[in-house]
Amino acid sequence: MEMIDRYIYAVTQKLPLAQRDDIAEELRGLIEDMLEERVQEKEITNHDIEAVLTELGDPRKLAHKYSGTNNYIIGPELFDSYMLILKIILSVTFVSITLSFVIQSILNPINILDHFIEFIVGIVIALPQVIGWTTLGFGLAEYFGKVKEKDLQSEWKPADLAPIPDEKKQIKRYEPIIGIIFSLLLLILFVFSQDYLGIWIFDDGFTGIVPFFHDETYHTSLLFLLLIVGLGITKESLKFVYGKWTNRLAIFTTIINALSVATIMVMVSRDTFWNPHFLQELIEIGLLTENSDAYNVFSTIWNQSTLWIFLLLIIGLIWELIDGLIKANRK
Amino acid sequence: MSNTKEHIDKLMQELRRGTITIGVLSQLSEPQYGYSLVTSLDAQGIHVEPGTLYPLLRRLEKQGLLDSKWDTNESRPRKYYLLSETGKEVYDLLVVEWQQIVQNLGNVIDIKGGEKNGDD
Repeated sequence: MEMIDRYIYAVTQKLPLAQRDDIAEELRGLIEDMLEERVQEKEITNHDIEAVLTELGDPRKLAHKYSGTNNYIIGPELFDSYMLILKIILSVTFVSITLSFVIQSILNPINILDHFIEFIVGIVIALPQVIGWTTLGFGLAEYFGKVKEKDLQSEWKPADLAPIPDEKKQIKRYEPIIGIIFSLLLLILFVFSQDYLGIWIFDDGFTGIVPFFHDETYHTSLLFLLLIVGLGITKESLKFVYGKWTNRLAIFTTIINALSVATIMVMVSRDTFWNPHFLQELIEIGLLTENSDAYNVFSTIWNQSTLWIFLLLIIGLIWELIDGLIKANRK
Repeated sequence: MSNTKEHIDKLMQELRRGTITIGVLSQLSEPQYGYSLVTSLDAQGIHVEPGTLYPLLRRLEKQGLLDSKWDTNESRPRKYYLLSETGKEVYDLLVVEWQQIVQNLGNVIDIKGGEKNGDD
């Protein structure tokens, strides 16, 4: 009898709560009827129960017949594109992480073991990340792009046919792909060569680097950066799926961009993001003399860099919104 | 020739899926519960799996073609289904449609018997 309970549970557990008990009870009645018919007056054995449940078939199939709907994160229409984008992203990520491992090992062969560990950690962290973000982008597109039941109910006239999108409205398939590759490369560049991002000092050959970024807060910066790149992948996936500029797409991308800008600002405006000793180190190696004109110009630029980045980002944000809206509404 | 059989199985499955609804509706001018429906249909040569029939009954109920009522007086509680007013109307019209289909298809299929037979 316990097997019957398990069977009923397996069928009903994923059905809507409101129908669950009703279906369970009806199903129990059915199974008992079937058993009765099978054994007639005799005793019911486990063997009979198994036979009846086998006749009813896989509980997942039965549950599917009851629910009658297909729920997808990513439906069959988008699945091919999803797989294509995912393959591209995964290979780009893998290749660039591998590449930075090779480059680091060449530049600094003594620490090859550290680089290798970094490489493994990078793979383990990055691959699930990009899969997750791509899925989010396609999932959003699936959810919002779905043909709504009520849209289908109004009467259709040939005049309703949407025009074939203008060349200029279309988003070429390679654009989002390049966008994704670019943001991934940027991320990987930062992750694996942060130590090399700075002013390179040559004095009879390469002698060192004055880094732009603060070494110790590297890991928190990394989290922010993953979020930014993730949002970027989500955005590009949306563009890929929509395939043409629409007002809705322009608004979606703006929301995502605004989130990215906010994240960047939080990241950059923390005191610890930039190398706090940057100017000092430049003076120490003799590249700048304190209080010289060059020093003043340089320190102004350096100290205001956060502000400039902010301005540039805001301009970029507004630009992309306007650009999207113009493209969407071009006649 | 297992290939032919596969094709036939698949096509028959599709064909049955559409006709089973008519079969079910035809039996429900008197209240019946699911399993009694399975046996009574089976006795008349219409075989339907309980796993197909039970979800179908719920769907038809949800669409308003069937009314249902739990009977708890018997040895075990059973859910009885019965044609609703809409269900009756729909069934009557469906029968007319079905007969039309039978007739039309009959004509079409008969063509091979004598080239111009269908033209009358």
